[in-house]
Amino acid sequence: MSAVRVLVCFKVTPDFEALREADWAAAATQGVQTRYVRRVLNCFDESALELALGLSDAAARLGVTVELGALSIGGREVDPYLKTLVALGYERAARVAAGADGDIADTDAAGVGVGAAAGAAGVDGAGLDRAASGLDFAPAVVASIIASYVLRADHSDLLVLGCRSGPGDGGTVPFRVAEALGWPCLTRVTSIEPLGDGRLRVGAMVDDGLLRVTLRPPCVLAVGNALVSHLRAPTLKDRLERRERRIDVLAAADLGLDIAAELRREACVPTALETIDRRRRGAVIAGATPRDKARTLFDSYLSDLIETL
Amino acid sequence: MRFAALLDGTVATAAVQAQALAGFLGDGLRGDLAGETFVLYCDERDRERLVDLAPTRDVRLVKTAARRPERMFDCLTAAARGGDTALFLAAAGATGTEIVTRLACRAGGGVLTDALTIEARPQRLVCRKNVYSNHLVGRFELRARPWCVTVDACWNDTRRSPSPSHTILSESDESGDAGRPGATTDTRATGATGAAPFADAELLEAPSSGDLAKSRFLVVAGYGAASREGTERIADAARRMGADFGVSRPVAMNAWAPMDRLMGVSGTRAAPALCIVAGASGAPALYWGIEKAGLIVAVNPDERAPIVANSDAALLDDAVAVLEELAEIVAGRRTHE
Repeated sequence: MSAVRVLVCFKVTPDFEALREADWAAAATQGVQTRYVRRVLNCFDESALELALGLSDAAARLGVTVELGALSIGGREVDPYLKTLVALGYERAARVAAGADGDIADTDAAGVGVGAAAGAAGVDGAGLDRAASGLDFAPAVVASIIASYVLRADHSDLLVLGCRSGPGDGGTVPFRVAEALGWPCLTRVTSIEPLGDGRLRVGAMVDDGLLRVTLRPPCVLAVGNALVSHLRAPTLKDRLERRERRIDVLAAADLGLDIAAELRREACVPTALETIDRRRRGAVIAGATPRDKARTLFDSYLSDLIETL
Repeated sequence: MRFAALLDGTVATAAVQAQALAGFLGDGLRGDLAGETFVLYCDERDRERLVDLAPTRDVRLVKTAARRPERMFDCLTAAARGGDTALFLAAAGATGTEIVTRLACRAGGGVLTDALTIEARPQRLVCRKNVYSNHLVGRFELRARPWCVTVDACWNDTRRSPSPSHTILSESDESGDAGRPGATTDTRATGATGAAPFADAELLEAPSSGDLAKSRFLVVAGYGAASREGTERIADAARRMGADFGVSRPVAMNAWAPMDRLMGVSGTRAAPALCIVAGASGAPALYWGIEKAGLIVAVNPDERAPIVANSDAALLDDAVAVLEELAEIVAGRRTHE
C-alpha cells in the first residue's frame, strides 16, 4: 500500500494572555503591540501536530507508512518550531516567509492597530493598516497560500490543522482550503486512527455529539478540543541526528501568488478595534485565614442567595 | 434588501439555533431588511416542529440528508446567485461555520463568523465580533455580496419568540444522491462525484455538558488548582455545595478534568445566579462563558489576576483551601436546616 502523505499547518502566535490589561486598553487607539511578547503554538495546531505524530506511530504498527510534513507562514521565529518538528520525525518542513525575508508583511514589525498613522489604507479613515497587519484577519489569503502549497509543492493527501487561531478566531480557513482543493472537511476533530487499508477512523465533536466517521483521504481535518494537547519533546539525540535537515523557505510568489492583490480581494475587512469593559465591583474580602474569608463571603453574599439555588 | 436565516434541523440543536437567530434578528441586526428562513430537515416527522421554530414568517423548506451539509449548498448557492438575498445568517457552531464559509466561497461573497451585531448598509455590512481571544472587539466590513455570517453563541441564551405564524414559500428535496454534484469534487475523495465523503458516520453520544449550560450555581476551577488532585478537591467541594463543576482550558488540556467540563469560548457558556471562579485568572476566553452570571466570586491569590477586578467579590487566597472551607460552611448550614 502506498504511503499516506500528511501535511500539518500550524501558526506561531504571540501569547495574548501575556499582555497586560493596560496594553489592551491602549489597543483601540495605538494598536496591539506584540513585538516583545513570547511566542506560542496556537493550541489547536499543537494538538494537530501531535495527533499527526500519533497517527504516524499507529500506522507504523500496522505496516503503513505515513510521511509527515509541516507548513507555517511567518518570519524566522517559526524556524525553531520547524526544527523541533524535524527532530520529532517530520520529514518535510516548510515556511512561507513573512517579514524581512518574504513578500508578506510582518505583523510584529508594526503592531496592528487603528491609530491615525495606521489608518491611511483603511475604510472611512479609521481602518487597520492592511500593509502592516500581515495576514492577521486575512483568512482567504491564508487559505489560498495553503491550498497553493498543497497543489504546487507538497501534493499531500491529508491536510491537518487547528480548527481556529487568533487573532481573528474565525474558524473558516479549513473550509476555505477544502473548497479550493475540492476536498471534504471535518472540523472539531479529536482523534485520528489508521485502519491499515488507507482509510482513517476520525472522531469529531459536532454540534450535538461525538461523531465517528470512516474516511479515505484526501480530506481536510480541522482539530478541535482533542485530549492530545501537548506536542511531545524530541530527544537530544534526535535533534543532533536531524540538525542538518533543510527547512524550505518559500516566498508567496513561488506559489504563484500575488499577496497584495489577494489582500485587495479579501471580502471581509477589519476597520477598528474596541476595548471591552468587564469590570465589576471587585470587592476584596478580608480575613486572616481561608476559613475567615469563606465565612465572611458566606455571611455577606451567599447565605440568602444559596437558599434560592 | 433581503436576508435568509438558515435553520439546520438535521441536528439536535435546532431549537437553540432558532432561539439565537430570533434573538439576533430582533436585537442584533440593524438595517432595512426583510427576510425568510431556510429550514433544512431530513425527517418528515420533524417538519412541522421545525417550521414552528422559524424566526421569520416566510419559510423555505429544504429536505436534505443528515450530516451532509454539502447537499444544501446547491440550493443555497442558487438563492445567493439569484441576487435578491444580500445576507445569509446561521447560528454558531461547526455546521453554521461550514455552511456560510462554503456558501461565500461558491457565491463570491464575504464571510464573518461569530457576529455580535451587524448593521446592513446599502453597499456593505458592518459587523462586530470578538477578536484577540476575546480581549477586544473588532469591527469589520463585508463588501462583496452575499454576506454570509454566523451569529456569536452569546445569542444562544436570548429569549425571543419565533414568528407567530408561518407561510411556506417553497419546498425542495435535496436528499437524493442521484445526479447531485455535492461539495466534494475531487473524485479521489469519493470514488464517484456526489458520493458520501464520510462513511459509517455514527453519533456516539450527546454532549454531557448540558448541566453546565443550565447551571444555577457553578464552580469553575482554573490552573491555580495546581494538579489533578487539587482539581478533584475543588470538584468535591462543589459537589458538597450542590454546585455544578466546570474548568478552564488549561485544566482540561492537562486532563485534570474531563473535556466536557470546559467553560468558555471553546466549551460551554452559562448564566448561573452564582459562579465561583477558583484559581483561574479569568482570561477573556474563559470569562465569555460566565459573563452572564448574576454574582461572580473570584478566589485567587494574585490580586492582579483579571478575574479579581471582573468579579463582584474576591478572596485573595489559595483556591483549594477556600473552597473546602466554604463547602464545609454551606454543608453545615444545610445539615443544620
